Amino acid sequence: MNALPRPSTIFLAAITALVAVLLYSPLFVPIVSSFFTISHGNVDWSSPTLATYVALAENHDILAALRTTLIVGVCTVILSVVSGTLLALYYHGRRSGRSFLQFIIFLPFLMPPIISGLALLIFFREIHLERSLLTVVIGHTVFVLAIVYRTVLMRLQSMSRTLVEASYDLGATGWQTFWRIILPNLSSAMVGGAILAFALSFDETMITILVTGTQSTLPVRLWAMMRLGFSPDINALVALILMFTVLLCVLAARFLIPRQMATERT
Amino acid sequence: MNQNTDLLTLRSVSKSYGTVPVLHDIDLSIKDGEFLTVLGPSGSGKTTVLRLIGGLEPLTAGEIRLDGQDISRMPINKRPFNTVFQDYALFPHMTVSGNVGYGLSVRHMKRKEITRRVAEALELVQLGRFADRFPAQLSGGQRQRVALARALICQPRLILLDEPLAALDLELRRQMQEFLKSIQREIKTTFLFVTHDQEEAIGMADRICVMQAGHIRQLGTPHDLYYKPNCEFVARFFGENNLVPGKLGPAQGEQRSIETALGRLVCSISDQPHLKAAPDGASAFAAFRPEALHMADATDSGNSFSGTIADLAFAGSSTVATITTGGDAAQRLRLRMPSRIDGSVLKSGETVSLCFAPHEGHLVLA
Ligand SMILES: Nc1ncnc2c1ncn2[C@@H]1O[C@H](COP(=O)(O)OP(=O)(O)OP(=O)(O)O)[C@@H](O)[C@H]1O
Ligand SMILES: [Mg+2]
Repeated sequence: MNALPRPSTIFLAAITALVAVLLYSPLFVPIVSSFFTISHGNVDWSSPTLATYVALAENHDILAALRTTLIVGVCTVILSVVSGTLLALYYHGRRSGRSFLQFIIFLPFLMPPIISGLALLIFFREIHLERSLLTVVIGHTVFVLAIVYRTVLMRLQSMSRTLVEASYDLGATGWQTFWRIILPNLSSAMVGGAILAFALSFDETMITILVTGTQSTLPVRLWAMMRLGFSPDINALVALILMFTVLLCVLAARFLIPRQMATERT
Repeated sequence: MNQNTDLLTLRSVSKSYGTVPVLHDIDLSIKDGEFLTVLGPSGSGKTTVLRLIGGLEPLTAGEIRLDGQDISRMPINKRPFNTVFQDYALFPHMTVSGNVGYGLSVRHMKRKEITRRVAEALELVQLGRFADRFPAQLSGGQRQRVALARALICQPRLILLDEPLAALDLELRRQMQEFLKSIQREIKTTFLFVTHDQEEAIGMADRICVMQAGHIRQLGTPHDLYYKPNCEFVARFFGENNLVPGKLGPAQGEQRSIETALGRLVCSISDQPHLKAAPDGASAFAAFRPEALHMADATDSGNSFSGTIADLAFAGSSTVATITTGGDAAQRLRLRMPSRIDGSVLKSGETVSLCFAPHEGHLVLA
């Protein structure tokens, strides 16, 4: 492993550390500074406080935004997990049309959000669908579907085909095979996909701004607050969202990193 | 249970994947209660035969009959057969007893009855202590036995095993071979066992079906295949053999002569009417095993010829000599004799006179 000469190892380590600090330190600034008050645009480092968090908890606008975010997130997760799983099941092992479908599914995820958002906006207007939470949920689902589809499909592909054959061979019907063999083997991928979908929906801003009606989600609320000026509760809010998202990603990784089922149970 | 009634019959079965033919006009009868091994090199269509019988693939042509009834179109989950897959295909999210009981629980058997029969089946494969483990916590040989118990518990008419021992190391493979054989004797269920290992086939099978390139080349007891191969492929595939090409001469009773570069050789054709019927002058091979070849002495009247010893190889209980015969159509032959503590009587480079008895030589049509 230690094939490189020592000076170059040190050099590489230093570069890595520098990159890490440059890239990730901005993430910690709001977390740290959220525990201090800001006066006249400067952080007052002398007295740590939870005041900003208390102010946040009393802010009804923000609480309403949080509720909206959660509603949208849960609906998006349900919609995207069900449809992503169905699509993956349908297209697994089918050659024709699969790459085209994948292209369509991945398009909204890869396109700049503003393009996806505008496309959706135009679409909703054409079919005369009022902008509301429903349109937000649809927008988010279109956006995160790729993630769920991909995670479930990958698990399906890594599942041995003979498992299904063995189930039929032992006398099970198609329905029994689905519920007792396929679904249990997909469940952790579905949970992982759901968490990722929720995290993405939780943070989504651009599409939401374009397709929402009167209600705003947390990130949209944040965006609006920032346009009015940099206030201390923004720090607290950013810190909370950041921590929550990290938590979700850690959770998702737990479900998605392949492990032996057995060690998971015992 | 009658070993002489046919359980399953394949009639003119063909299979193509797309436009690629894989099986050509297969005819095969499996007797009730026998241990039938399908043997053949990789890609010869063994797995395909098994999958057709199990119902995992549809037939392209022909029919499969069970007790005389056509089951070609019977869905896989209705067929009274169970498969032991090469990769075991144990359900990773179920315990050993969950796996073994699956076949019963999908048929809505009572829980108590399932528990009882699972315990019985695990006892049979000596895995009682492992009932609550998950497949990932078992060794290869144990997984193998779970897969077997899972198939046995449904009391199938026929158990299909696709190279179930290929993934095991040599020692474990020997043990499992004996184990499978003893279980088969105990429960008297018909086994259809696929392998590409001829030693395994010889050791386990009541009958062997040799496949090559999508054809069945020969079906018979291990003894028949070894001593009466019916074609060049089987003669070469089964153990070591000396094949000398030539043209058939006239038949005389249970023997027939063949003109070869080694002179006229006389071989047995007993019980092989197709050899009696073959026309004079037809291309054929004289086939004789290395252990049938020996040094000629004055009393030998059989097929004798001379050759030069090119190489001697000590192989434990026996010694194998590679012999070249002179002339334009030089042959390489092998001779196997018991090893002797005081060394071989043969020397490398020596020219010797060799022979084999007519009843130990056979003819194979080219
Ligand atoms: N699903 C498939 N599609 C196309 N061709 C196939 C398929 N399955 C098998 N074949 C072809 O059919 C032929 C026979 O395959 P089969 O798996 O029956 O061989 P086998 O005797 O079991 O070989 P092995 O000892 O390697 O398992 C091979 O040439 C293989 O390439
Ligand atoms: Mg095979």
